[in-house]
Amino acid sequence: MFDSLPLCQCLKIKYPLILGGMAWIGKGALAAAVSNAGGLGTIGSGSMTLVELREEINRCQMSTTKPFAVNILMLDPAVEEKVSLLLELRVPVVIFGAGNPGAFLETFRRAGAVTMGVVSSENLALLLERAGVDFIIGEGCESGGHIGSVTTMVLIPALADLLRTPVIAAGGIADGRGIAAAFMLGAQGVQIGTRFIASVESDANETYKQMILKSGIRDTVVTGERLGHPVRVLKTSFSKKIKRMELDSSEEAERLLLGSYRKAYQNGNLHEGSFLAGQSAGLVHEVSTCQEIIDKMFTQATTILEYTNTHIIERRKNEQRGSI
Amino acid sequence: MNREEVFSKVKKALVEKLDVEEDQISLDADLRDDLGGSSLELVDLVMDLEKEAKIKIELEELRSIQKVKDVVELIEKKLH
Ligand SMILES: Cc1cc2nc3c(=O)[nH]c(=O)nc-3n(C[C@H](O)[C@H](O)[C@H](O)COP(=O)(O)O)c2cc1C
Repeated sequence: MFDSLPLCQCLKIKYPLILGGMAWIGKGALAAAVSNAGGLGTIGSGSMTLVELREEINRCQMSTTKPFAVNILMLDPAVEEKVSLLLELRVPVVIFGAGNPGAFLETFRRAGAVTMGVVSSENLALLLERAGVDFIIGEGCESGGHIGSVTTMVLIPALADLLRTPVIAAGGIADGRGIAAAFMLGAQGVQIGTRFIASVESDANETYKQMILKSGIRDTVVTGERLGHPVRVLKTSFSKKIKRMELDSSEEAERLLLGSYRKAYQNGNLHEGSFLAGQSAGLVHEVSTCQEIIDKMFTQATTILEYTNTHIIERRKNEQRGSI
Repeated sequence: MNREEVFSKVKKALVEKLDVEEDQISLDADLRDDLGGSSLELVDLVMDLEKEAKIKIELEELRSIQKVKDVVELIEKKLH
């Protein structure tokens, strides 16, 4: 049903699903698990040293023969070295996390890699299309991690109208209903992060996974808004404190935020850690394997899309025929 | 458009996009540090100017923009 979509055609994969690159959590094992389950797994390189990134790419390559991606952040101080490493190891797909990849895009294109850019604004999307990126991932502000200001529901149709490049929807999608909805909005595939934090293969610690399961849909907050870099995290006493602090002592807030992601990831430190997660944490109720998660999502999406087709579209056609 | 005219268009766009006063904007002002622009606001700014000046700017050219004068020079270059 999905294999004629551009993402599946381009990469020869079963499902039009990308594991969102996740700094700290998305390592080689998680990426390989998603690729083996029929999606496109992604290694989040943002939190890694060069040596670690090389190891994780090797691990992924050893665990799957399917294509996988690496997400790189333009703000990363080691971005040039990471680009060289990806070229050396012939990583098949490169995803540029928020930011302007400039000349790197052409370098990867010439090397034969598939390129994708994450955007939260239509203008950056236009510039990426002009520069020849293969897919544009529109990320709504429901997402976990660094976010823009427009919801997925509004961003995706706007991008679909504006672009010729296939659009992939990200932000707030955690089950087959979200996937079906993404298609209705004009997307040709989905990118999902938060749901996979609570997967067996994710590198999140047990505390982190349990926090995702316990969270409701209103249990995230956006820190760093006042500091110019909004980041969606789980609501904890720490993140609430940061939000209050931003108002009058931004330097102190910056200082506390620095290293808080590592603390959440390394030992689930509730008092000093920032647990990145999207609003869809409230839709996640169990820890499962990537294969189980993905199969279930696409079974549900297929049922919904078929239902829509038979009960709404076909019925309408019949009614119209009848009335003629 | 001569340089003065381009600068005045850029200034006008900056006043609209970023919350700044006209007299804060010199050619040497840094778009982020002095004028508080975010990366996305700078993309929006350049795309607005692109439409107005009927030119086409490439992604790569944006990366080197730091100061007001970089924007002015980029547009001037494109116009000729
Ligand atoms: C823990 C975590 C870390 C993330 N790190 C990155 C990153 O390093 N680079 C990036 O482009 N996006 C990052 N994201 C965003 C995801 O790639 C993805 O777009 C997002 O999670 C989709 O929304 P969802 O969380 O609602 O599924 C991160 C998200 C989470 C939850």
